[in-house]
Amino acid sequence: MKVPFEWLSEFVVIDMDPQDLALKLTMCGLEVEGTEKKAPSCNGVVVGKITAIDKHPNAENLVLCMIDTGRESLPIVCGAKNVAVGDKVPLAAVGAQLKDGFVVEKKKIRGIESPGMLCSEKELGLSDDHSGIFILPDECRVGRLLHEEPFVQDVILDINIPPNRGDCLSIYGIAREVGSILDQRAKLPIFNLETEANKKGKDFVSLKVLNTDACPRYVLRMINGISIKTSPFWIRNRIIKCGMRPINTIVDVTNYVMLELGQPLHAFDYQRIRGKRIEVRLAEQETTFRTLDGNERKLLQGDILICDGEGPVALAGIMGGENSEISETTQDVALESAYFNPLYIRKTTRRLGIKSEASLRFEKGIDIDNVGFAAERAIFLMNRLSGGAIIKGEREVYEKKELKTLFITYSHINGLLGTHISQQDITKILRSLDLHIKKEGEEGLFITIPNFRHDINEPADIIEEISRLYGYDRIPATRPISPLSAQKRNAREIALGTVKEFFKGAGFFELINFAFFSEKDIEYFLIPPSDERAAFVGIANPISREYAVMRTFIAPGVLKSIAYNINRGAKNLRLFEKGKVFFSKEGAPCERFAVCFAITGREAEFFWRDKYNDYDFFDIKGIMEGLMGAFGITFFPQKTSEPFLNPQRGVDIFVDGTKIGWIGELREEIVKSYEIEQSIYCAELQFDIILQKMKLEVQYHPIPRFPQVTRDFSFFIDDSIPVGMLMDKIRGASPLITSVGIFDMFRKEKRSVSFRVVFQSYEDTLKDETVNRLQEIIIKELTNINGISLRA
Amino acid sequence: MDIDVLQERVNKELSSIKTIDDVRKVRISLLGRKGVFSEYIDNIKLLDKGKRREAGQEINTLKLRTENRLQELEDSYAAEEKKKKDAASWIDITMPGKAPLVGKKHPITQTLDEMVRIFTSLGFSVAEGPDIELDYYNFEALNIPADHPARDMQDTFYIQDGVVLRTHTSPVQIRVMESQLPPLRIIAPGTVYRCDNDISHTPMFHQVEGLMVDKNVRFSDLKGILSMFVQDMFGKDTPLRFRPSYFPFTEPSAEVDIGCVICGGTGCRVCKDTGWIEIVGSGMVHPQVFRNVGYDQEEVTGFAFGMGVERIAMIRYGIDDIRQFYYNDIRFLSQF
Repeated sequence: MKVPFEWLSEFVVIDMDPQDLALKLTMCGLEVEGTEKKAPSCNGVVVGKITAIDKHPNAENLVLCMIDTGRESLPIVCGAKNVAVGDKVPLAAVGAQLKDGFVVEKKKIRGIESPGMLCSEKELGLSDDHSGIFILPDECRVGRLLHEEPFVQDVILDINIPPNRGDCLSIYGIAREVGSILDQRAKLPIFNLETEANKKGKDFVSLKVLNTDACPRYVLRMINGISIKTSPFWIRNRIIKCGMRPINTIVDVTNYVMLELGQPLHAFDYQRIRGKRIEVRLAEQETTFRTLDGNERKLLQGDILICDGEGPVALAGIMGGENSEISETTQDVALESAYFNPLYIRKTTRRLGIKSEASLRFEKGIDIDNVGFAAERAIFLMNRLSGGAIIKGEREVYEKKELKTLFITYSHINGLLGTHISQQDITKILRSLDLHIKKEGEEGLFITIPNFRHDINEPADIIEEISRLYGYDRIPATRPISPLSAQKRNAREIALGTVKEFFKGAGFFELINFAFFSEKDIEYFLIPPSDERAAFVGIANPISREYAVMRTFIAPGVLKSIAYNINRGAKNLRLFEKGKVFFSKEGAPCERFAVCFAITGREAEFFWRDKYNDYDFFDIKGIMEGLMGAFGITFFPQKTSEPFLNPQRGVDIFVDGTKIGWIGELREEIVKSYEIEQSIYCAELQFDIILQKMKLEVQYHPIPRFPQVTRDFSFFIDDSIPVGMLMDKIRGASPLITSVGIFDMFRKEKRSVSFRVVFQSYEDTLKDETVNRLQEIIIKELTNINGISLRA
Repeated sequence: MDIDVLQERVNKELSSIKTIDDVRKVRISLLGRKGVFSEYIDNIKLLDKGKRREAGQEINTLKLRTENRLQELEDSYAAEEKKKKDAASWIDITMPGKAPLVGKKHPITQTLDEMVRIFTSLGFSVAEGPDIELDYYNFEALNIPADHPARDMQDTFYIQDGVVLRTHTSPVQIRVMESQLPPLRIIAPGTVYRCDNDISHTPMFHQVEGLMVDKNVRFSDLKGILSMFVQDMFGKDTPLRFRPSYFPFTEPSAEVDIGCVICGGTGCRVCKDTGWIEIVGSGMVHPQVFRNVGYDQEEVTGFAFGMGVERIAMIRYGIDDIRQFYYNDIRFLSQF
């Protein structure tokens, strides 16, 4: 809420500058988000007084004003009609600067030289009003620079009112807070209501409230014979500073009093109230109603309506109706000041999607005790600005309720806060907040909560009040009394740690994408409808179609990140992402963890000494082997069934007969869907299954004391025979074989593969004949297979 | 036996030396076990007794001289050899080195891991909850009933009636309290979602929730724990302040500000000229929340806090646009 410092100062004495007050408010719970200095955007404009007005000799529409500037008298040519002798006016002499940097020059106007000009509010950057010269208030001092006049300059505090503090949605409400902080009492405005003694409200309108739960208090006041005008500057200025728009004297007063006291008001054109009666009731059936913004609203059972003799005239607390709206010709006004139950208002505004300054306040709860006073205040101001006669008395329905009383102990207060605030300080703070202490006991206090504090419902709320005014900075910082216990990381934390370590060490960058994707992604990856990855969880109100459903797998996001980076010149990428994926299982959403990684391009673009090959299947397979090794999991690759993998270069990963993921080259057409032109090798694993299968405990094996023996073998092997199977066969030939590797593969008519086998005994140094014997066995085992022959 | 012949032989052999290998060959042929000197020394015993001594001395002198000379030659050739080798091992050390492949954790992960480390060291354990959450856990149980004004504070993604994407990690508080009895000391890091997308908001971001419930947990303990966190995270001398605030599920509530790290407190765009940056929302667990999970509020008290990981990462690294975290631009990711 925007709070003009100048207006605030009307209710409390603030002997500090606005910045200091802002800090105090912030530290007491009303966060001042910013302060804005307000001053007319002019320079060199002075306050002048009109001492004489003469006719312009050459123009009927112009006059010649003699302006006393305090030092001299200047003849100024003026075209406005609203000036009179004795008025104080802003004079911009030659050289003065007006709004938008406009500099006043000496000008001849119809033959008469004018050494300056009189200004409108608009020209001074004060408002949009350009209808005439800005007549200054009488307290302005002749000769003083206008922008130094206190009434045009101000500091506006932008205060973030917490949602539970509806009582602070007014200048008076803020003043009340300031009063608590500065140990003062905010003063309500004082005025004297002069009413027409022989006319009584009850002769003009009847009032009935059918549901006092929805509307426990309703006040109607009348003013007759007014004339609607533009409001004076001081009212308009305050309304503008608070971020609203001035309209006319009647509407401005309702807004002004709402801003001042926090009570929303509604003015009806009395002549348009049919049957001269007002009835407050809940809508009984579905009906339509045109609000004054011109919209046709659908009303449902339970909405609070203000009705006249024939039907609704206002949607209570939210917006008036077109049918009873004030117009330029309105003469008699019926003014409504009421308390509507916040629950009803919230329900209606939420459903209709209407937010007005009034409903905002009703929703949070206003001060029911203030309803009548606000009506008086508004009627008084209307009378002052628009004339007319105030009708004596008001029509009112008021169902009073007893005030809430709470009991709180001193030990509860200090126990919860960890403080030693004295009883004296506690009562002092409570009194400063208008929290009435009904009874002071040994142990604690009975406290009566005033009606404007809707947020105080239990002892904890009172503790908050005490703590914030006592000052959070005065509460000590302590160590909890309860003993510390060592915390064990859970299995997922540990496993995720392993993933992060592994990929970091393997030169991968971690991505974090939004957990949304689109149905298009499922389509692009050719996921069949029967696949669980097609059973997505949709978002009812997505921010865009691109992010309309929860991702069922991570790869599409990774692919988008690859495309993003390739488009920016990074073609060699090693990326991984971990995170949740979401599925709809029999209509219910469920979620799992998954890990995806991808490589594309090559290890590096160049190194002057070395040559790099583009990544291929064996690079990604190696990463998978490394990752599984880190988890202590043995996996079995099988020919892939994934529709998005190149079937020649993709495998599904199985652990203990369960499929846990896939790796391989993405099909060209899929990569193209994401506008990528290069090969992508990618993998995705279900993390939850890894969690079940992983073995992270390390068991030490003694280092062998005897030397190892290495032998190489080369065979011609038909393409139909998988080398992986042969490696297993060699490994199985003897427990003395500790490792089998492939150090060469080339193709010359036939495929030649060279194995390097390491023999190792833990018991003694291997003898040549032992190794030779094993060598014979290996050769025999392999060459026995059709399609394998030993290379000489 | 003629010493002169020996001398001549020695001279001849020495002068034939051209390389360090020659030195070794000559040493063997002259001084070796079957070398020329050995032969002469063996022959001394064939001389007359009277001449033996003199001849022996002469040969020994010559042998010593030869040995010295050979050593000299060897040293000189070795030096020469070394020089040659040195010359051959020259490289231009200003050529660029080969960079190893270095991976990086996402800055959000790095920050999150650091936060988890700090709270773990303060005795908090990690708890989890679902991203797709029931309205009850995300709102109702946290004292935010339907139509509550506080619902306006958060723009919620809805999955279906009563099911939302969690707008904060606070529902984990409820899930933990429903399934465990006090004492509790947990943090819940996780992904949260809000229907918002602009320079200062992303539809998905990360939070860390904290909850401590026990007998006699005090507001001052909340100040203590969060002060320790701030000092560990941002440095011992980081100014911080606790400021009253409002959250439906805590009472009293506090917001924690740290001195702006961008301007050092003098005021800038990041801190909106206040010199302070808000980083944590916190407070004492609201009695209604305890009632909702069936805890006896006469028996236990507690505090809870929540903080945005992106915000802390932005402060930590001086990042001014939250969306940077989600472009996944390698030029961004490689900086952390």
